[in-house]
Amino acid sequence: MIALVLGALIAVAAVVIVALPFIRDNGEPELIDFGSESEEILELIEERDRALAALKELEFDHRTGKVDDEDYRETVGPLRRQAAEALQALDARTGKRSTGEGSAAEDLGEQEHVQGDDHDGDSGRDDVGEPAVDERAHQVAARREPDQRNERERDPEREHDL
Amino acid sequence: MARSRRSPARLVIALAIAALLAVFLVYTALSGTTPALQPSNLAGHNGTVSLTGKVIGPVKGDAHLQGGLRFKLHNINGVSPTVPIIYHGSVPDLFEVGRDVNVTGQLQGASFVATALTTKCPSKYTSKA
Amino acid sequence: MPDLGRAALVVSFMLALYALVAGTAAAITRQRRMADSARYALIACFGSTAVASGVLVRALVTHDFSYAYVQAHTSRDLKTIYSLTAFWGGEEGSLLLWLLVLTGYAALAVTLNRKLLKDVVVWVVPVIGGIATFFSFMLVAVASPFTTVPRSVDGAGLVPSLQNPYMVAHPPMLYLGYVGLSIPFAFAAGAMLSGHTDERWIIATRRWTLAAWTFLGFGQILGAHWAYVEVGWGGYYAWDPVENAALMPWLAATAFLHSVMIQERKGMLRIWNMVLVALAFELSVFGTFLTRSGVIESIHSFAKSSIGGWFLGFVVASTLFSMALILWRLPLLKARTKLESPLSREATFLYNNLLLVALTLTIFWGEIFPILTQLFTGQQQTMGRPYFDFFLRIFGLPLLLLMGIGPLIAWRRSSARALMKTLRWPIAVALVTGAALIIAGAGSSAPGLIAYTFCAFVLTTIVIEFVRGTRATGSLFQLVARNRRRYGGYIVHASIVLLAIGIVGSSAYGTTKELPLARGQTMTVPGYKLTYASLKDTPSVTETGRSVETRGYLKVSGRFNGTMSTAYVNSSALGISHEVGIHTDWLRGEDLYVILDQVVGNKVYFKVLVKPLVNLIWIAGYVFLFGSLVTLWPDAREQRRLVTRLSLARA
Repeated sequence: MIALVLGALIAVAAVVIVALPFIRDNGEPELIDFGSESEEILELIEERDRALAALKELEFDHRTGKVDDEDYRETVGPLRRQAAEALQALDARTGKRSTGEGSAAEDLGEQEHVQGDDHDGDSGRDDVGEPAVDERAHQVAARREPDQRNERERDPEREHDL
Repeated sequence: MARSRRSPARLVIALAIAALLAVFLVYTALSGTTPALQPSNLAGHNGTVSLTGKVIGPVKGDAHLQGGLRFKLHNINGVSPTVPIIYHGSVPDLFEVGRDVNVTGQLQGASFVATALTTKCPSKYTSKA
Repeated sequence: MPDLGRAALVVSFMLALYALVAGTAAAITRQRRMADSARYALIACFGSTAVASGVLVRALVTHDFSYAYVQAHTSRDLKTIYSLTAFWGGEEGSLLLWLLVLTGYAALAVTLNRKLLKDVVVWVVPVIGGIATFFSFMLVAVASPFTTVPRSVDGAGLVPSLQNPYMVAHPPMLYLGYVGLSIPFAFAAGAMLSGHTDERWIIATRRWTLAAWTFLGFGQILGAHWAYVEVGWGGYYAWDPVENAALMPWLAATAFLHSVMIQERKGMLRIWNMVLVALAFELSVFGTFLTRSGVIESIHSFAKSSIGGWFLGFVVASTLFSMALILWRLPLLKARTKLESPLSREATFLYNNLLLVALTLTIFWGEIFPILTQLFTGQQQTMGRPYFDFFLRIFGLPLLLLMGIGPLIAWRRSSARALMKTLRWPIAVALVTGAALIIAGAGSSAPGLIAYTFCAFVLTTIVIEFVRGTRATGSLFQLVARNRRRYGGYIVHASIVLLAIGIVGSSAYGTTKELPLARGQTMTVPGYKLTYASLKDTPSVTETGRSVETRGYLKVSGRFNGTMSTAYVNSSALGISHEVGIHTDWLRGEDLYVILDQVVGNKVYFKVLVKPLVNLIWIAGYVFLFGSLVTLWPDAREQRRLVTRLSLARA
């Protein structure tokens, strides 16, 4: 007898749980929005992260002596160029989507804010508190970037998530 | 240095598969497999075979003495002719009449001379008291 | 109460089916409410399965013999812990455990990822729903744990050899591993179904895969150790079908774990990864099928049953589904970059994949060969130990070597010169070790010698990595804490090297000797002299009948001075069983293993085995666990990585 009652209760509970989303309204849109643009941006983000991670790994390997000076010099140039290109492509893409001048900085600011929390920046953005303006300057003067980046990379406190 | 534009990956994989097949062919050509038989289809197989069946008593003799341990096997399921087994070696755990076992050896005359004997783990549960 | 259990399982089945059907509809039409509802259904499915499990646990612990299952797997005198573990002792209970773990994992996985992988999770839900539908259907219609029978006074007991802590831990660990592989599979399928094959699914499921792989690996070592001490033939692995059933998915998962690193770093091997994760999943279900259906002769006996056909159907259907999915999404899975050189780290990962898959397929072929020959020639043929041992060496030795080369070789392309330069120390150590071993007598086994030198090679590379890293960062602890994946991985590699050394030592360099000894007589094995001292018979009467324990005592001298004993028990209920005597020399890692084979007249046949380095195998298990834990340790940064990616995409 108890078994039947409990069984019925479980069945009822199941129905209620399943019906919940139809009954209550949590303010989200009716249709799930994925956005095809997001997929492209995700790819660009992946390329950027890949390029920056490769750079970080090279720095770490060089620091620990696995990669010697000669090989390091050979490899670091192309990797930095790759990273700069990836950053440019990504910023171009996200910059394009802003509606006005203000929002370009906003987008970067948001990127900054989100990555500021990420103070060990596995994406390579270790610059906590770096003003947004500098970033733009980075993209334009790609050649300057490697040196500044180099310094940050050399900081032994940098974590390394592989 | 001119580098082929095609990724070497495909070549690597093709070579690997070829190597694998070659190793396989060589191995099976050299050693071959063992037939897994039951008492009912043992007749006529003269090489080394693996035989699985149920132990029928009486169990006589000694696995460590010259005469060997002697018992009979018949099919695990159903009726079948019985095969007399002579075994030399260590007697594994849980060997007893009624147990399913596997022997490896050769038919010699009317008896099967076994060099290896394993018992199938019986039901994990003992029979009710 | 069995009615409650049955009802709960019916509810589970309906919920799983709903998750499958409504989930699919929701994913296609992008209806948020329906998608949420399907997801809730999956979570509720865990709830009702938990209720059913609770009913079974209660019945087991209270010895409710009106349940056929309780009758068959417990007895009144069984210790409570073994009554509890009887949950998975039989087929029905283990299916219930599968469903419980599956829905539990699923509930957690979809809840944690519902925001960041919204587009993928909406498809993950119906995929898991499909798997859960199969298992719950089996539980409701084919193999129910809640069948009732006339109540009996007592139940069947559990054979004594299974009543030990290893057998408590071994099955659930394996299940946590097997079932755990469904999660990355479901996410991979979700990624393909949604068309969003970016790396989020890999980042999200990385820890699930690692955890499942760890459980599966450690569970196997536990099983091997139990076999070694309890079953007592002196070995720990017999290439038995049931053992292979756990090894194959583990090997496929190993390949997958490594291969995804390449996808993350280079965007390559994406098709490989989809194939590997599907292979790991299919092999884990196939493994369950093999173990439970009795379709292949095995010394692990589980009752032959009717679920075999159903399982085979499920494996075939899900394999076809995976293949179709991968073929359909092939354009999306094209690599971003190409392999530049056969001498590069990317290439070594590719070789790693190839070797692991080759080994897996070899074992698989050996497994199904008897079935195939039976089908096509009417005559069952088996592949014996030599087949498996041979291919383990052919594929295992190069894999060992790759473990050392991989971490050191350069990305993109390397030259033979550069490689030799990087590897000069490991090669030197390996050669010196090889020479020293030959002098020490290890030349008796060529594969053994090669394996040992390879192990020295790999260990040197690992030590160098740790030394270099510690010098650069100043603290070993900080080094590992900040680079958990890399150094945790090295620790796991070290455990595999230890495992290899243990396996090689105990097999290639072991000794087995059997002699009849009269009282006072001595036998000699390398390192030890054993003298038969005395024999003692101890009869006893238990509930199941009478038994006599015959215990032989040996005086040992040599590397160890003392006494050992070993016994053989003749029980009217169980027949003969052996209790081996093991003496472990921890300094050498060596075991002296004695078995009392038989008493013949006034002589006793003793089988003595010397197993050098065998204890490294068990130590390797713990090192493996430790290394995996280091790699698994939660990393807040990784979660943020996912978050930043998504918010950027949304911005």
